[in-house]
Amino acid sequence: MANLRPIKFRILELCNEDGGKWNYEIVTQIQKEYDLKGDFQRDSINFDIIELASGGLLQDIEVKVDEKGFYKKGFLLHKYNITKFGQIRAADACLLNI
Amino acid sequence: MDLQALKTQEHKRRVKIGFMWAFFCAILWGLWYIPGTVVWVLNPFDAMYGEIAATSGDGVSLIVTAVLITAFNALTVILALLVWNGVLGKFGEMKRTLKEFHPCSRWFFLAAIFGGPMAILGSFIAMGFVGGAFAAVAALMYPVVGSTLASKWYGEKITKRAYTGIAFIIAGGFTIFGGGVLTEIGSGSVSWIGYLGGLMAAAGWGIEGAIAGKGLDISEPDVSLTIRFIAENIIWWIIIIPLLAIVGFPMFKYAILAFEPLTLLTLIFAGITFGFCYVAWYKSFPLIGVGRGQGIGNLYGLFAVIFIFLFFGDVPSWTILVGGTLCLAGSSIMFLEDTGELESLRGD
Repeated sequence: MANLRPIKFRILELCNEDGGKWNYEIVTQIQKEYDLKGDFQRDSINFDIIELASGGLLQDIEVKVDEKGFYKKGFLLHKYNITKFGQIRAADACLLNI
Repeated sequence: MDLQALKTQEHKRRVKIGFMWAFFCAILWGLWYIPGTVVWVLNPFDAMYGEIAATSGDGVSLIVTAVLITAFNALTVILALLVWNGVLGKFGEMKRTLKEFHPCSRWFFLAAIFGGPMAILGSFIAMGFVGGAFAAVAALMYPVVGSTLASKWYGEKITKRAYTGIAFIIAGGFTIFGGGVLTEIGSGSVSWIGYLGGLMAAAGWGIEGAIAGKGLDISEPDVSLTIRFIAENIIWWIIIIPLLAIVGFPMFKYAILAFEPLTLLTLIFAGITFGFCYVAWYKSFPLIGVGRGQGIGNLYGLFAVIFIFLFFGDVPSWTILVGGTLCLAGSSIMFLEDTGELESLRGD
């Protein structure tokens, strides 16, 4: 894709969809869109999500244990939704669709 | 294990990583004082200082030499950061972030102005006109500026406990350098410009942190930091150094002379320690907030004294024991805080 924007922007867009999105879904989609391969890149994207949540731009709305190994077996999976603050910051960044 | 317990555990791990980054920052910052001190007595900087001092006086010479040293510091930092980003495979993200000037890069260019010409230069001015101990103590005040700004400007949650921790660490720093400061200030007429330098350091680094915290919301720390140093290099090498050269200082003559093995090695050591200290600093902010990240980062004062003792054999005075204890107490107060309060760093 030609017009990719920074990864955190895309994460905010994805979490703006109705009902939120699971972290493993976000990670897989971003890896595909940005052509980022390997476990290191996967964890790095997941860390971006964690930073966004810690900064109050995303909130987790559902949590479950990863029993099937979607992401990492035995660890937690989070479903995230954008917060009001996240929407304001996204609007600052002129993100479409928000 | 139930879900809540797992959640708490995951959360604790996140906070621990944040504190660990801030702690690395403090160690590397302390280490930086070794090349940062040594480089002044190496040529060409030593000769440069002498030449300018002979015509323009010690004060001017000190600042102009400091500009060249800081510029070289920024240059080696950017080399270290480019290698770092290359290894992490983040050049793509860097290009994407750079293009977003309004939401992202703009903040890091601003951060570079406050952190570079204001804080680092201010620090050197304080060192030169008052003394090293005063410069160190003045810079220790920066978390006060940083955390106050972060909380007033974008509502970062800073608990009473975090403030207490910051206060303890600052008190510790004062105790470590206090005697030196009294000697320096008492040693006769101190120029007001030295105090101004101290103020520039505290305000500059504090403001930089708060601004960076704002931009880091929506961008990646490794990448953001590299952009911040690209901006600082532009400020020094494209704006200030040519300006000083036009005014008549021998900037380029000495810049070329810096390419000798020992000087380069020292500068590269400075670049690596300073660069990664900054990487750690920026990485801690999104995880534990600007206030805590800077508070723990302040432990650099203690580490600087320890490293200078280990490498140069300058035995610190006994007050370091009291100061060190205060620093430790301050970090523990912050680190042992019930982290439930850190779930999100921002208030609603």
